[in-house]
This record gives sequence, C-alpha cells and structure tokens, in this order.
Amino acid sequence: MKIMDLKKVNDFTWEIKKDPLVGMRVPGRIFLSETLLNYLEPGAIQQVTNVAKLPGIQKYSFAMPDVHTGYGFPIGGVAAFDVIEGIISPGGVGFDINCGTRLLATGLKLEEVYPKIQELVNQLYNNIPAGLGSKGKLKVSEKELDQIFINGAKWALRNSYGNESDLKHCESNGHMESAEPSKVSPLAKKRGMPQLGSLGSGNHFVEVQYVDEIYNENVAHTFGLRENQVCIMIHSGSRGAGHQICTDYLRAFQSAAFKYGIQLPDKQLACVPANSTEASDYFSAMNAAANYAWTNRQMMSFWVREVLEHEFNDKVNVVYDVAHNIVKLEKHKVDGETKEVYVHRKGATRSFDKDPSYGIGQPVLIPGSMGTASYVLCGTKEAMEMTFGSTCHGAGRILSRKAAKHQLTSNAVIENLKQKHVSIKTGNISDIPEEAPEAYKPIDEVIDVVNKLKISEVVLKLKPIGVIKG
Amino acid sequence: MGGSPFSKKNVRGYEFLEHTADVLFRAYGNNLSELFENSAEALESVMIDLSNVAPEDIKHVELSSDTYENLLFDWLSTVLIFFDVEFFAIRRFNVTVKERSLTAECSGEKIDTRKHKLKVEVKAVTYHELEIVQDDVYHVNVTLDV
Repeated sequence: MKIMDLKKVNDFTWEIKKDPLVGMRVPGRIFLSETLLNYLEPGAIQQVTNVAKLPGIQKYSFAMPDVHTGYGFPIGGVAAFDVIEGIISPGGVGFDINCGTRLLATGLKLEEVYPKIQELVNQLYNNIPAGLGSKGKLKVSEKELDQIFINGAKWALRNSYGNESDLKHCESNGHMESAEPSKVSPLAKKRGMPQLGSLGSGNHFVEVQYVDEIYNENVAHTFGLRENQVCIMIHSGSRGAGHQICTDYLRAFQSAAFKYGIQLPDKQLACVPANSTEASDYFSAMNAAANYAWTNRQMMSFWVREVLEHEFNDKVNVVYDVAHNIVKLEKHKVDGETKEVYVHRKGATRSFDKDPSYGIGQPVLIPGSMGTASYVLCGTKEAMEMTFGSTCHGAGRILSRKAAKHQLTSNAVIENLKQKHVSIKTGNISDIPEEAPEAYKPIDEVIDVVNKLKISEVVLKLKPIGVIKG
Repeated sequence: MGGSPFSKKNVRGYEFLEHTADVLFRAYGNNLSELFENSAEALESVMIDLSNVAPEDIKHVELSSDTYENLLFDWLSTVLIFFDVEFFAIRRFNVTVKERSLTAECSGEKIDTRKHKLKVEVKAVTYHELEIVQDDVYHVNVTLDV
C-alpha cells in the first residue's frame, strides 16, 4: 500500500480501502493535510492496515495527524473493539502504559518568572528525579505499591502529595477501577518500586511555559487560564512498572493468541478475545500501571509545587491530566447504537465533549516538540461521533533518532533554543538532537488538522521558556 | 557497516537501521549462539558506552522456550532487566543456544554514573516483525522501545 493508493475522503481524511483479500475487516482512516501527507511513511500505512485486520474492530482503524511508524500499532493509532467479538491487545497500548501529559497553572505572569528562569529550571531539575534509570525520592514498600496500583492518584492525596481539586481535574480522576495488583508480576513490582516519582528519559520532560495566544477566551477562562500566565507541563508515564507489565502480557499472549486461533499480522499485535480470562488479567494489570502513572505525575506535581512555593511563594493548580497510551472500556455510538467498546489509544488523546469538572469539553493537552509551542484544546461532540472521542497527542516524529543525531549537533540545538529564549537543563547533552524540533512534524499544522476536523477545538497556545529533560 | 554483513575477519555483528520513533538494529551470527550474543551487545550498546565497562563480575542465565523468537525476546528482556533493576552493565556475552534453550555467561560490572556514560533508556524489547532468518548467516531485526 502506497500513499497514491489512499482515497481522499475530504481535505483532511484519507482512506485505506477495506481489502478482505488481505484480511482487513474495516477500512483505515488517516487524518492529514496535504502538507502532512508528505511525511506519511509506507510503514505507518501498513500498521494502520494491520490493525484493521484484528477481530471485532469497529468502524475504522484510525490514525491521527501526528501518525508515524511505531511497532505493532502506529503511533497516533486509535482502534475500538467489540466487547464480545473483539480483542484486547497490549501492543495497542504500548510499553509506557498511561504515558501522558499534565498541565499545571501557576499564579505567575511571564514577566515575573522570565528573569529567574535559569534558576527555576535548575531548581526543578534538582527537585525532580530525571534521566536513565532515575529513581524516585521516596521509597515505597511492596504493600504501598499495591495501594498505588489500586488507588492511583488517590494514594497521593491520602499521603498529602495533592488535593481533591488535583484529582477532579484528571482524566478518570487519576484512578482506574478494576486495577488488580495480583495480576502484576513480581518483576514489574520490583521495577516499579524504586522509580515512583521519576521522569525517565527519552521524550519525557518538564517544561515551563506561558500562555502566548488565546483563541477561545471563554473556554480558556473556564480552564482557569489567561494570557501571559506561566504554566508547567509534565510529560511522563508508568516507568519500569508499565514497561514490564506490557512485556509480561505481550509474551504470554504470543501463545494465547495461537490458542484462540487469532491470525496475527505482526507478533507485536498479539491479542486475546476481549471476554477471555487472559484479557481480564491484562486489563486489571494495565489499569494498575495506569494508576501508577497518575500517581507518578502527581508526585512530580508535588515537587514542582515545592519549588514554586519556595522560589515564588506561589500556588499551583492542576488544569488537567491526560493519558495517551491506554485501553479503556467506553460507551460509543456504532451504527446508531450505543455500546461498550475497548478503545485503544496508542499515542492518541481522549477528547470527550463533556468533562464533569469544567462542565464543557475536556481539556486536551498537546505538547509540541522541544522549544516549540504546545496547545490546549477542548473535546468535542464531533470526536465522539467520528473517532471514539479521540484526537492527536503531539507533533509526531519525522526524523529517526539516528538521522537527527547525524544532521544536528547538541550545541546547534542548544543555541537555537537560546535564540528562542528557552533555557534547558538535562543530564544527557549528547541526546539533545534526538528531540530537536527538526525531528518532528510542525505542531501548528497538526493542530490545524484536528481543529478543522473538529475532533478537538483549539483554545490556546503555550510557548516554552524552560525545559527539563532526563 | 560496509562490505559483507558478517565476515569472520571484520566482525561487527550488528548494525543500526532507520526507525522513525524507536531503535531498530539488525544482528547477525554464523550460528544462533553468535546471533544471540550480537543481539544482546547491540541492546547493551544502546543503553551505555561499553568502552569502559569492565568484565569484573559474571551473571549466569539459563532460559528455554517454545520458539527461537520467544527465546530471543526472553533473553534480551533478561539483559534489559540486569541493566534496569540491578544496574549491571554487560561487556561480554558468552552464549550457547541449542534446542530452543540458552545458557549464558555475562561479564560486566555495576553501573557507576561517575565512571560510565549512560546513553538511552530502553523501555522494552518489542516483538515487532521479530523473525530470525537463516540464509548465508542468521540475522534478525529487533525494534527497541525507547
């Protein structure tokens, strides 16, 4: 399948025709502008096609405009499966279960923070464990870890690392039901215990940003955001606990898929019937990892607060917190009938039209690449109708890490950030080119597509002034 | 890597290929044991600069599985666990693979961040298109989630 074989449905929707001869059960739909179409890789088209072959898939195998080649599912992939005829796939969630984004709003204005930005970045870097193999600052016992797996961010609240309002402004209130620690392997627990409250490395970051431009004053006001306000964005996930849970179930499902007679287009798509015991076990363990990730971001929020209180005597609120690698049991309309489906979002964000905490569409937090803008959007009814309540999750890579390092030097990237008035602190200078803006699609173009498709509506733009990386 | 992908004289048993988001390497081996050794070294080299990792301590590994691909997945995941959980970096792999079983001696040392240069955090070994192929030599493509 090549780009030229895609059928244009409208200005931003490209269809992979359903081909039963290759085993496709539904068509694929990729949301791109003509410009972004130039970045589409044949590998990503193949991966959207492969997902369309899985049993019980509903409507379409979707890819958001930040789509790029992943492993198994494409990044930017969304697929919903029937609860009886369908499947659950650990590969449709990925290793970093509930990797996600959280936005914190300070009471400070840009002009108050900017003169002290390097000091703030240094303080945040010192107070938040980051980097390869980074360990959290607190030691939790296995018993406590089980409580974290069960209760998610509620555990943090009970242990004075947050308040009620923080949880209210989290997707699923920072807590998934039916998490079951007994379905988590001892090895996953061993990996999870020392790493709670740590950022990790790769594309994970803490960024100091300010509200640069507001496109919808009313919604921005409802989310408690105004022009020039300083915000902190956290991007991190479930660390070794989540990685190991996915590894364990992916491994176990190699033979389970065979047992259930499921033909796999790729071993990474290993899956089991949604109503099987194996699926229930994975779902319970996956929810435990999701809860770990929400606790993790809550812990880091607490340490951000410590710094802001100490440096600026400032209070920090949680605007919202979204998961972008997850499978959830949700109700959606399929062929005019509302039914429960397992929605897999792999590098995609929920975009629900109703959020109980704000009374309007949920905040959708989309980080750009390092040094470029991030956006706050709002969930829509169009997303509910078109994409199982989903939208993009970021800019989406276009350059491999290898190519980025080949084309760019760390010094050049840091110099470029300096020219944009962005301070950076990282433990690993040599990997900076991997996350340079040139390695990613233009975020503005990605946002334009989801906005014009109305699968989320743009509210405001944030610009960075400081970056902390692992 | 130029010339023949795998020759006894100029052995560099793996190479890194393009992948948009993650790390993709191809490992080679004249036999399965070499293939497993080279795959493990490729993985280790992603996480740490191996040039000053000393082969001071030895870890022993024994694994068996139903397929060679599953065995490779288990093996590489074990190497990753040594790194992530025990903070143990491995300089030298001595692997014997036969009849879908593996025994290995892994020589390395405890990671000291003052001495060693850590590179990229590998979240997991993936199953993406994981297939061991035998033509002139054995080879396999492995995608790592980073």
